[in-house]
Amino acid sequence: MKVKLVTSLCVVCLLSLAACETVQPWERGTLAKPEMQLSEGLDSPLYHQVYDSKEASSGGSGAAGAGCGCN
Amino acid sequence: MAKPNPFLALSTAAMALPAFAAPQPVETIVAIKATTYQEEDVPQRDVLAGSDERYKIDIAQFRLLTPVGEKWSLGVDVAYETMSGASPWGTIMGADGEASLIMSGATIRDKRTEVSLTATHHGESRSISVDLASSDEDDYEARAVSISGEWEMNNKLSTLSLGMSYSSDDIEPTDALRFGRVQREEKISRSLSAGWAQVLNKNSVVHVGLDVTDHDGYLSDPYKLRDVRPDEKLEWALSLKYRRYFDNQNAALHLDYRYYNDDWGINSHTFHTGWHQNFGDNVRVVPNVRYYSQNEADFYRGTDDFGLATTINQSSDFRLSGYGAYTLGVKLIYSALQWDVSLSIDRYISDKSYGHDASDQSHPALLSFNMTSFGLNFRF
Amino acid sequence: METYQFNFQAMGCPCELRLAATDRSLANEVAVICTSETQRFESKYSRYLTDSVTSRVNNASGLHPVTIDPEVAAILDYSGVCYVQSEGLFDITSGVLRQLWNKNMRRLPTDSELEFYLDKVGWKKIEISANEVFLPIKGMQLDFGGVVKEYVADVLAAKARSMGIEHGLINLGGDICIIGPQPDGTPWSIGITHPTEGNSAIAVIELSEGAVTTSGGYERYFDIDGLRYSHLINPETGWPVEGLLSASVAAPTSIVAGSLTSIALLKTPEDGLLFLEECATPYFAVDQQLGCHGNLGEVCHA
Repeated sequence: MKVKLVTSLCVVCLLSLAACETVQPWERGTLAKPEMQLSEGLDSPLYHQVYDSKEASSGGSGAAGAGCGCN
Repeated sequence: MAKPNPFLALSTAAMALPAFAAPQPVETIVAIKATTYQEEDVPQRDVLAGSDERYKIDIAQFRLLTPVGEKWSLGVDVAYETMSGASPWGTIMGADGEASLIMSGATIRDKRTEVSLTATHHGESRSISVDLASSDEDDYEARAVSISGEWEMNNKLSTLSLGMSYSSDDIEPTDALRFGRVQREEKISRSLSAGWAQVLNKNSVVHVGLDVTDHDGYLSDPYKLRDVRPDEKLEWALSLKYRRYFDNQNAALHLDYRYYNDDWGINSHTFHTGWHQNFGDNVRVVPNVRYYSQNEADFYRGTDDFGLATTINQSSDFRLSGYGAYTLGVKLIYSALQWDVSLSIDRYISDKSYGHDASDQSHPALLSFNMTSFGLNFRF
Repeated sequence: METYQFNFQAMGCPCELRLAATDRSLANEVAVICTSETQRFESKYSRYLTDSVTSRVNNASGLHPVTIDPEVAAILDYSGVCYVQSEGLFDITSGVLRQLWNKNMRRLPTDSELEFYLDKVGWKKIEISANEVFLPIKGMQLDFGGVVKEYVADVLAAKARSMGIEHGLINLGGDICIIGPQPDGTPWSIGITHPTEGNSAIAVIELSEGAVTTSGGYERYFDIDGLRYSHLINPETGWPVEGLLSASVAAPTSIVAGSLTSIALLKTPEDGLLFLEECATPYFAVDQQLGCHGNLGEVCHA
């Protein structure tokens, strides 16, 4: 089940890459809007802290940060 | 749909010209956030002994991001938390045949301070960062260092990011002698991460990420009456993020998914979706939903068995049980040119039946919480 | 500290540098660097010089792509944003339409003549990659006249500042970029030329920083059958526009101020004023009836 899931996710990624268009620099205004960003300010560390302390599957966000005492 | 101000659009575009170009962020950003988090009390009937009060946490966050010279930028993050409330010490079978909690007595538990410093060097189409972080509380100390880089390619339509980090944590449980807890233990964590961000068209972007982490050392919970976990854990996670803007609605859709798997037998799915709706030029409302589901760890037990040998891995920690959870939230943001203010409210509920692979018994410590945050950002 | 003035001719207009320095030789050095930098831009972008990048690209129209450097690419990108922000009115390929509308033409163009030239107009037709530009239809022409002169004013001001000049201004044919206020700290008084009475000012602006540019349809017009036509052509219809008589905008950079005034003048007077209001930056505009609008500067004679 795990292998199938990972495979299908990879297929989705490759398909979306194939669907890429060239975006000219003067068309990039929308991508720069705050609501189009991949992460927003202090929300990331806050929610990581909140969920890491009660879920088994913490971290894995690529962001560095010292842990807390919530083994 | 609110039309963008042509003056702002042209000014932003002009910044790319050689006479004005600066490769690093030209503005200084200051952000502060105050959050109050409150878990709901455990139902009385589920508590065998100790307090039924769960955690209440107040969090203050501060961030400063500023350019230094022409090619460098510096970031400082400070977080300060105060926590109070009781925590589960153990789970045993109650007289009614249902699992019951033994809770600690409620005490003003702890304060935690976390500081991190990041220095970034900006090149033509790549940046490298080094981050040092440290976290301190009465019984816990963590130090971490990480290095990461980002490379822009394909006319800045693709971004590759790579990172690695190392952290060393020390735990010295309070009242160690009195309760027969371990006195001082260590844990080392090392991780590698890779990510790829791809612009699909002028309205959408997708991100794929892979993280692998290895934990080595004392991984058990010293405050539990009976908790023995392996001294090593290897985990990996795959994440996907999608952002799409809708011109006609003047809104953006966020879709995030994360799959996690480790060698303790746990795998989990996290889905998060939000609708970022703009009203005019200044207001944005973001209703959002998060769904989380995990199965139980190999050595998870619904109730503690104090007769079991302590050389066998065992834990009744609800965080290792099979359960699911929903978070419903809404965020309201008001922005002006140089500052913005936000308010967000979240409600979280969890239950074993929400999960994709629930444990046999519902853990009485599965909780609900409410959280409210107020934030301010300044740009200059 | 004294203010030294240097005048020269470049890019088809009178240019003026006002540089304040305690040391005359520093002012001279800065002036020399500024004039040579201006000449570098002119050699590179002028469509009249056969060796310029513009001419090489125009001569290769319909034939093959031409390699461009990052500076040209950045200016093209910026021109693209102008095209989008002006909703298609500001188009650096529209210069070919001047063949139909100029002092030597004694009559209005025919429909087929318009069609012939309109076929060669259209920003979206240009093929641009990271380091190449290709004009796919033979006869297409790029004209950076609406972008480069204003950009040069910003470049010269930045250059002067980097060489230690703190007070002064750059004036390239009416496109003004301030290096810093006058030596005594007071702002510079800048006059906006009266649209119909060339020697006097219709308004005076006080500026200590930033830039101000003025665009006017009044300087280069021509008459056909007793009717006056502007030299500004609408790239979609192929016809001259009937817009404001002049527009001036104050902004942090000369290139942005220049784009805003150019775009404002390509619209009808009502749309032009709406556009200037929408930009929320100080402006001054004069309509066909010599009525004055805007909050920039003191009107002294209308």
